[in-house]
Amino acid sequence: MARYALRRIVEAIPVFLGVVLVVFLLYSVVPGDPARLLAGQRGDPETIARIRADWGLDRPLHEQFFSFVWSAIRFDLGRSYRNNMDVLDAILLRVPATLELVVASLLLGGVVGISVGIISAVRQNTFLDYLAMTGAVIGISAPTFWIGLLLILVFALKLGWIPGMGYGDGRWIYLVLPAVTLATRPMALLARITRSAMLETIRQDYIRTARAKGLSEWAVTVKHALRNALIPVVTILGTETAAMLGGVVVTETVFAWPGLGRLFVEALTFRDYPIIRGQVLFLATVFIVANLIVDLSYALFDPRIRYE
Amino acid sequence: MLRRTTRLLLALALVAAMSGFAAAQAPKYGGIWYDALPSNPPHLDPVFSTDTTSAEVEYQIFETLLEYAPDGTLQPLLAESYEVSEDGLTFTFHLRRGVHFHATTEGGTPTANGGREVTAHDWVWTFNYITDPKTNSPRAYFVDMIKGYEEYRNGEADHLAGVRALDDYTLQIEITYPFAPFVQVLAYNTFSVLPREDVEKWGTADFNFHPVGTGPFKFEEWRQDDVIRLSRNENYWMKDEDGNQLPYLDGIEFRIIPGGGATEWAEYQLGNIYATRVDDPYYRQVTAGKETEIRPGVRTVETQHGVFWEGPQPGVYYYGFNVEKITDKRVRQALNYAINREALINLVINGRALPATGILPPSIPGFNPDLEGYTYNPAKARELLAEAGYGPDNPLELTLQYNTDPGHQRIAEAIQAQLKAVGVNLSLREVEWGTHLDTTERGEVPFFRLGWVADYLDADNFLYVLLHSDNIGPEGNYSRFNNPTFDMLTKAARLSTDEEERIRLYREAEKIAVEEAPWLFIYFYTDHNLVKPFVRNYDLPAFGQYSNKFRNVWLDL
Repeated sequence: MARYALRRIVEAIPVFLGVVLVVFLLYSVVPGDPARLLAGQRGDPETIARIRADWGLDRPLHEQFFSFVWSAIRFDLGRSYRNNMDVLDAILLRVPATLELVVASLLLGGVVGISVGIISAVRQNTFLDYLAMTGAVIGISAPTFWIGLLLILVFALKLGWIPGMGYGDGRWIYLVLPAVTLATRPMALLARITRSAMLETIRQDYIRTARAKGLSEWAVTVKHALRNALIPVVTILGTETAAMLGGVVVTETVFAWPGLGRLFVEALTFRDYPIIRGQVLFLATVFIVANLIVDLSYALFDPRIRYE
Repeated sequence: MLRRTTRLLLALALVAAMSGFAAAQAPKYGGIWYDALPSNPPHLDPVFSTDTTSAEVEYQIFETLLEYAPDGTLQPLLAESYEVSEDGLTFTFHLRRGVHFHATTEGGTPTANGGREVTAHDWVWTFNYITDPKTNSPRAYFVDMIKGYEEYRNGEADHLAGVRALDDYTLQIEITYPFAPFVQVLAYNTFSVLPREDVEKWGTADFNFHPVGTGPFKFEEWRQDDVIRLSRNENYWMKDEDGNQLPYLDGIEFRIIPGGGATEWAEYQLGNIYATRVDDPYYRQVTAGKETEIRPGVRTVETQHGVFWEGPQPGVYYYGFNVEKITDKRVRQALNYAINREALINLVINGRALPATGILPPSIPGFNPDLEGYTYNPAKARELLAEAGYGPDNPLELTLQYNTDPGHQRIAEAIQAQLKAVGVNLSLREVEWGTHLDTTERGEVPFFRLGWVADYLDADNFLYVLLHSDNIGPEGNYSRFNNPTFDMLTKAARLSTDEEERIRLYREAEKIAVEEAPWLFIYFYTDHNLVKPFVRNYDLPAFGQYSNKFRNVWLDL
């Protein structure tokens, strides 16, 4: 298993390089000079030229690329064009807020989604099942920003129960609405996947055997059926965690949540290349690690899976 | 000289009168001012900021030699008075005594300067630091007329020769050619005095995150994308007219609410912020109530949501023609006749602007109230188009490029419809800001949206910057307008120190620009702010709400 993990990490290196290269090439063809943007609508050409030289933007692209890669190896991601902050600092500053949000949403989405899926499968074609699945379709289809605004409107503005925006210095109540918003999609998706996986497993022979030997319905459902049904569910959980990092962009903007998503949006608007590259690299790491964890966790659910 | 003194006195009297207005009640100390910022400001270091969000916070922490009163007159701040030599080249500033840098910051940590008094030597150091090529301030060139600027920038000199301390409280600045708006430029927030020890302690990059100045509020905390907290400067030099120490507030909390709009409005209604900008959907709700005129053009409305302030902002919204591509003046004029500005303003933006008759907005000295500009005249528009060779069989096809924004889109669609009525087919092209600036300044775009809000309240900042041929391209003249008479007039006005003569020259130049129509003149900006009813001593500043200073504000809670 350790060898497998190591091999996967080594395999990730070309992926990293590829990602950085793509970001570099993308930005070399997009018009809009960051030095120019920094100078404002009325910019002095001499100052703009000095800023460009300072940032190395006047050097050929391949030089910029290799100098970035070389620095990145030494954990130096450069400084933000926009406010001169060290890129790694800027990212790490935002990690706690995003991590809180993603973990809360994953827990919420996972627990609620999987439970609803199990109940739907066990109570297939009942009112409860229809209700849950209708909810799931709405949850998958509704755009995140819309859910967010709706929640603010109802719970913050009309009812005044929960704060509608901001980080509130980390108080948990501020986390409620953004977490629910971000959890909606994975929750709905997990409910549907769990339901169909469970339905398939429940019909298997070994489940009939389990029932036949007189196990309780709880033991049959949770110990025997669920464990097997969880493989597709874990896969979805993995990809959804990655997708959530996209979802945080919208959620964090709607709720003024000071995380990575906000940083990314602002960096894009201001052509803050160092921040964009740094974040892409950071996200690529998260994706690769998340996928690795998902792949390694299969063995926990299905002892037949071996890593050789 | 006499005129300038009179103006300063008048400004002081006006400020005193306005403070007297609310003085019926003794001011209360304490409380936090909760406000919103539309984005995480890139800079709290004024040397590097070029945007209004950064300025909004910097105005509380830092101070300049002179500042603008809410009515737009220049008034003393850290300079008590100043004199200009006969030739208009030497400015002598008599500095206020007893002004100290912040002694503590960020939770009571002592600053590197230790709270020492500001002297003329600090100003000399600050000007050298801002214009130092190694510092790379994007606004250094605002003072490129200071003697020795070029030599210092290109490394021939090791300091800026034109800035000198005559003694601890006298600062002298020498410029190379008469430049009447020079003192106005010094009110721009980049030119705030900085404590050398703290700048050197943190270094140029990190001073941004640990700003120290002389202003009424000290920096406490900046949680990126979340909140900026400032606390009361207990050693602030200014007192109110009764001798009470300013500021009244214990602190300021700027909450960063991206995009403003619905979220900011909700936060205001919940009482989590005390002031807000009002988006179009809510505008009608906050403009019904008892109206009071505070001064010409500025009004308040007492509404159920609070006190709504509205006044002119020194800015103009226009569509520029690239005159090298749209060469026929008749076409440019025709488009100007074809749009109904009043209808556009009323129907699309709830009446919150003034029709643009020319380039200079009403709050800029030199604004010409008699300038008629272009009025809605579709018949005349068609006639001019016909003369230029366009008609029903050969309609004028034009593409407007604007930067992504729902507000710009609504206006563009309205103008598209109005132009359609005179037979012009306008297509719309939306691009994001960086691309828009890039392509427009390179002269690739024939017709483009832009706006301009003054850096300083002088016609030079509009006519010279936006239309003089020296500034074609990124320096401001995106229309690539090039008219020798106009150039001559605006240059002459720039160099003259006779205020009346300057205004005469600017009016003449503006007439030429209106006749030549390098722009589709659309509207002059107004600005507004809705504040809670318990807020006292609030005023809408001349540059708009972003330039608020909260040193006099108190809360009647």
